[in-house]
Amino acid sequence: MTVRIVVGYTATKAGRDAVAFASRLAAASAAELDIVLVLPAEGRSVITPPDAGYDRYLRDQADAWLAEAAARVPEGIAHREHARYADSFAEGLIDIAGELGAGLIVVGAADGSSRGRHRLGSTTTELLHSSDVPVVLVPRGARKVAPEVGISRLTVAVGLRPGAEALLDEAVALSTATGAPLRLLSLVTVDLPASVDTGVIRIAGAAHAEDVLAETRRALPAGVEAEAVTARGASIEEAVTHLDWQPGEVILVGSSRLAQPRRLFLGSTAAKMLHEIPVPMVVVPRTRTREEAGR
Amino acid sequence: MSQQTSAVSGEDAATGGITKKGLSAGTVGLIGAVVIGISCIAPAYTLTAALGPTVSEVGFQVPAIILVGFIPMLLVAFGYRELNKAMPDSGTSFTWAARAFGPWVGWMAGWGLIAATILVLSNLAGIAVDFLFLLIDQIAGSPGTIAALAAEPGINVAVCLLFMLGATFVSYRDMQTTQKLQYVLVTFQVLVLLVFSIAAFVHVAGGTAFDASPIELSWFNPFAVGSVAAVVAGLSLSIFIFWGWDVTLTMNEETKDPERTPGRAATLTVVTIVVLYLLIALALLSFAGTGDGELGLGNPDIQDNVFFFLSGPILGPLAFLVSLAVLTSSASSLQSTFVGPARTLLAMGHYGALPKQFAAVSPRFFTPGFATVVAAVVASGFYAVMRFVSENVLWDTITALGMMICFYYGITAFACVWYFRKQWFDSVRSFLFTMLFPLVGGVILAVLFVITLRDSMAPDYGSGSNIAGVGLVFILGVTVILLGVAVMIWQAVKRPAFFRGETLSMDAPASLRRRPKNTTTGGGR
Repeated sequence: MTVRIVVGYTATKAGRDAVAFASRLAAASAAELDIVLVLPAEGRSVITPPDAGYDRYLRDQADAWLAEAAARVPEGIAHREHARYADSFAEGLIDIAGELGAGLIVVGAADGSSRGRHRLGSTTTELLHSSDVPVVLVPRGARKVAPEVGISRLTVAVGLRPGAEALLDEAVALSTATGAPLRLLSLVTVDLPASVDTGVIRIAGAAHAEDVLAETRRALPAGVEAEAVTARGASIEEAVTHLDWQPGEVILVGSSRLAQPRRLFLGSTAAKMLHEIPVPMVVVPRTRTREEAGR
Repeated sequence: MSQQTSAVSGEDAATGGITKKGLSAGTVGLIGAVVIGISCIAPAYTLTAALGPTVSEVGFQVPAIILVGFIPMLLVAFGYRELNKAMPDSGTSFTWAARAFGPWVGWMAGWGLIAATILVLSNLAGIAVDFLFLLIDQIAGSPGTIAALAAEPGINVAVCLLFMLGATFVSYRDMQTTQKLQYVLVTFQVLVLLVFSIAAFVHVAGGTAFDASPIELSWFNPFAVGSVAAVVAGLSLSIFIFWGWDVTLTMNEETKDPERTPGRAATLTVVTIVVLYLLIALALLSFAGTGDGELGLGNPDIQDNVFFFLSGPILGPLAFLVSLAVLTSSASSLQSTFVGPARTLLAMGHYGALPKQFAAVSPRFFTPGFATVVAAVVASGFYAVMRFVSENVLWDTITALGMMICFYYGITAFACVWYFRKQWFDSVRSFLFTMLFPLVGGVILAVLFVITLRDSMAPDYGSGSNIAGVGLVFILGVTVILLGVAVMIWQAVKRPAFFRGETLSMDAPASLRRRPKNTTTGGGR
């Protein structure tokens, strides 16, 4: 079964970033795109009088925007466009992803982020706290990466906490689909303050990090290549800055253990990493639903 | 590319539910419609702004004028409903008048609507500023010192601009309160007005009223006013107090039960509103009389904002409730009012009657972004200038507003009559609703408009503001209309397509048994 990728689209730079990256990913993994534009449901309007004429105008505008988005998808990638009404951007995307059985939701950075940077807006945050499928956060400027770059490497931020299995499954699935090699990453903060309760990546020291990586590699299915790196620094942010990133790289992180089963929750470590990472980040829920796990 | 485009439209067919779901068929229930209606009319705000000027025209006969003023609004609202049913379009008056009478008249109707809403936006913000200072004053317990700051033009304009900025931000981002909060606010507003009027009656009964005047039957008799000019001036003010009510009537496909909800909601809203208006008018008239004493409703110093001056004497320590009610009422009205000019500007941009930027929709918030900002800037600028030019800015804007409402509502009513000319005799129903009612309503509004325009030339008209011996209200009205004509001619030179009727053509649905929907909707799109 072909994987379907839901792209949360707005007619902004962020939306074009999302479409560009999703196209690149779809081309690399033979997936299909579902470009979704979420319009506000009228039901939420309690002050402004509803106006069917304006709704119709908006609907036409949405179709025009979707046509523009469609025109940006390179040849050869199957894609469909949807205008969807929902109380919020996140709700609309999660619902449609559920209906279509999509494997990923791709969204762009919030407005106001600078080139090559992630920025979480309120809508993305809501998505990260409620989605039951992996969410890909695309940094600003991703649309300027040439489509030929493809997906060159998948970095997986590894931990041994619950959720790691789901993360590895997702990473292996993506690696198999795209043919991109894996890079297992362990973050080591030299001075671990008491407050850093990572959840996503739990590292108590360099030795432990090596153990984690070794164990993770053993857990990988046969035939999947993986290099392993340990990044050290006084803080998560600093540790991350020492890493090299390829233009076609993607990083995968697991959901915080604070998350509900099968729900996402961006942990503090992942949030910190997000500030420094210039490549798209896939946030994977703790446990997969059964049918997805069997995929 | 063609495959992709068809994928877009193919989606509609595949998930046909979307269109219907999105067009919110069935999202607005009876209570929801009434709440939207009341919060659009904003009775607390409307009364404090309009009661004084109306008393100055007709004295004790305010209740009569309120009742009579409702008639033309009702008649025109019927026409609105017919037009909205036949051609639901965000341009409303602009689109309808252009379809009936052609681009030039349509353009001016759109202009009138925009001018009226911009006038009311600046007035709303002005009232909100007064009550913000009063509320702080009442809570801080410093009688008069903080409230007096609102009279300083510099401070007043600065705070007012902040209000406009806030309202623009909220409208631009389409931030909505929760439905629950909105219900609470509207209920609060109605309850406070009830308490306010009951307290005034208690004062009257207890002999502690400022100028106790027993209620007389003659207060309900418009013929007791004495002069036709006064009745006309009063009527053009009372038009304003019902303005906004028509939204309940024109919500058709948006409601859960399009057959019954709009009618019931409109009836329920208008009964609530009229009862409230009459109660407050009677309460304040009998409490304060129409003399020009300190608290008398005839005192020009308090007439432009009567609640501001009367809430303290009537409610004592609870007066802050009135301030709070007027503030919340102005705030939500500010937001619902912003939508009007923005959507009309958007439609005008869309049909090429104004630059294309006006048709832009914010890709993130799905609001008419550019049009909203333009409306806000013009309203702010207008208020700032008026604050310094006029002795009594709130009063003059309300009077000018009444005139502009008469102007564009009148055109809209005639547009209804003319547009449906081939269907007048299809049935008794269509004779009444597409011909007789809007015609009578339109004629009344046209007469009001002409007489108000003529009378307002006198330097002592309304608040008495004048420039070189000509009434400021007249100057305002004429300037606004002439400016509209000038901009229209300029646009006609730059954008002739619309004015040749290429984007929005004239039309008159043929007399048919079936609804004219197929022949009309979306014709211009």
